Amino acid sequence: MDALNSYASSAAMAQQTWELENNIVTMDAPSGSAPENSASDAIFHYDDAAQTKFQREKPWTSDPHYFKRVKISALALLKMVVHARSGGTIEVMGLMQGKTDGDAIIVMDAFALPVEGTETRVNAQADAYEYMVEYSQTNKQAGRLENVVGWYHSHPGYGCWLSGIDVNTQMLNQQYQEPFLAVVIDPTRTVSAGKVEIGAFRTYPNGYKPPDDPISEYQTIPLNKIEDFGVHCKQYYSLDITYFKSSLDCHLLDLLWNKYWVNTLSSSPLLGNGDYVAGQISDLAEKLEQAENQLSHSRFGPLVAAPQRKKEEESQLAKITRDSAKITVEQVHGLMSQVIKDILFNSICKSGKSQTEPSDPEPMVET
Amino acid sequence: MASSSSSGLTFKLHPLVLLNISDHYTRVKSQATGAYAGDGSSAGADSPPPPPRVFGCVIGVQRGRTVEIFNSFELLYDPSTHSLDRAFLEKKQELYKKVFPNFYILGWYSTGSDAQESDMNIHRALMDVNESPLYVLLNPSINHAQKDLPITIYESELHIIDGIPQLIFAQASYTIETVEAERISVDHVAHLKPSDGGSAATQLAAHLTGTHSAIKMLNSRIRVLHHYLLAMQKGEIPCENSLLRQVSSLLRRLPTIESEKFRDDFLMEYNDTLLVSYLAMFTNCSSTMNELVDKFNTAYERHIRRGGRTSFI
Repeated sequence: MDALNSYASSAAMAQQTWELENNIVTMDAPSGSAPENSASDAIFHYDDAAQTKFQREKPWTSDPHYFKRVKISALALLKMVVHARSGGTIEVMGLMQGKTDGDAIIVMDAFALPVEGTETRVNAQADAYEYMVEYSQTNKQAGRLENVVGWYHSHPGYGCWLSGIDVNTQMLNQQYQEPFLAVVIDPTRTVSAGKVEIGAFRTYPNGYKPPDDPISEYQTIPLNKIEDFGVHCKQYYSLDITYFKSSLDCHLLDLLWNKYWVNTLSSSPLLGNGDYVAGQISDLAEKLEQAENQLSHSRFGPLVAAPQRKKEEESQLAKITRDSAKITVEQVHGLMSQVIKDILFNSICKSGKSQTEPSDPEPMVET
Repeated sequence: MASSSSSGLTFKLHPLVLLNISDHYTRVKSQATGAYAGDGSSAGADSPPPPPRVFGCVIGVQRGRTVEIFNSFELLYDPSTHSLDRAFLEKKQELYKKVFPNFYILGWYSTGSDAQESDMNIHRALMDVNESPLYVLLNPSINHAQKDLPITIYESELHIIDGIPQLIFAQASYTIETVEAERISVDHVAHLKPSDGGSAATQLAAHLTGTHSAIKMLNSRIRVLHHYLLAMQKGEIPCENSLLRQVSSLLRRLPTIESEKFRDDFLMEYNDTLLVSYLAMFTNCSSTMNELVDKFNTAYERHIRRGGRTSFI
């Protein structure tokens, strides 16, 4: 890491310390001491023999929980997010190319499929099959040797999880096309939360009972989808996601930051996502109403049944609280950037005005 | 920034293209050195052969005088004709048309430190796809002293040299353009934010760190300007009026927005957010209240039951 510390510019330093603090290495180098350049790019090498060997051994057949980690390249992540966002409120899908490494699936690249549609259409893979074959062929010619290792699709606005149809699709693929991975991206929440909302999943084989409930990260799911989520959420598990980039990517991203800080400042999450936030709040209101109904029922209902039910209801209300807190946090973040910008660019005081007055907005006072 | 090329086009480049070219290059390089490693089992220790150039096509949209480069894909180099594999290009184009119907081929990309003689052949060959193709050149050598992106965009210009019309490459300026989702994911991979949700505190920290570093960058840029102006005032640097004019117009733009409408909207936004947090507080309160009532009920119930039993005995 010597090279990292030699940067002169303070911005670069800040960036580096940030990465170091978060204990993130440029790349999962097989041996830490190897020269930065060759080791960090080793992951980009495709070893056909090793992959074929792995394919033949099929270690995943004995353990349905075999794959635990996913590594996604910067390029694949960017491609997937941009594609997902370009779909707007329509679900889009595509395929990922990559390889395996022990219990990790490495996603090198992704490409879009000419399929878009609603929940029921996303499994229309037959249309896309021909496209996929053609695309992989041309890609192989261009030196992209990796095979397809999974598919991704977007869930605009309702979180990263697998619906019933997704589970079926994934199960089918895991039967015939192992190793296979499902990735779900929520572009709407990505923009709203300011961080990439992504999940990677694999299904359990039919009839398999997961040993214990793996505590998946809690997430908000709209009321009209919650049933679909609840029915199928035990049929798959999520994998840990890490990201990697090549040394050249790293260099370019560093330099990009020099041009890029403007965008960070000029972005305004509050403006673009009004609809989404309104939707979230109205969804919360519905959930609240439902919870209220149930609560009043149980309170006046038979007292004996109350204790068992109570547990569930409490968590429901707690969930609503958490959701509302999340929305608030996002909103406050958005507002914070707005206020900071206001102070930065608008509070230039012409001699007369006081310094603090414009930079300290107060709740609206009707004048 | 105004475009310096004579065509007067404005070029906007998306970071995805950058990463795409970089990935293409890294991949080809690692495949080449990897083959070496297979023989000698020492990865990249001995000097590998110079990495081959990679070629590809950039696609995007042109609206009026603005050219926006959204994406790119790989192409094959045909050594026999010293040009790009045409059949391959058409095949790829057809495939991409299906997914991104409104993107057109804008030009091509390659890697290297400078445009080469032979590049004009490739460039010319593309002219029947796009009348005035552009050429994106990425310099893959890592140079930490460098502060600018090692990307150059060339346009071709027709010049008459020695009475013969000839095409030459003219450098064009460009800006980096992103959509919001792209910005977030670039931020994500550049800084590698904790991918899990994290607590509210870490989210806040991440958010503020991002803003802070951006402001620091702004600060450093302004400082550069300030230094420059000071030096100019002292007479160390020749006075340049056009630059001074730019600086002054920049300063004149502050405060950026000062209108009644903006104030109102801003306050509205502010109050909306306050309202949202008020509502969240409310929900939180009622949830806590509910819990309390439940606990109270349980305690009270037991009390009655016990009381009842004692009365029986």
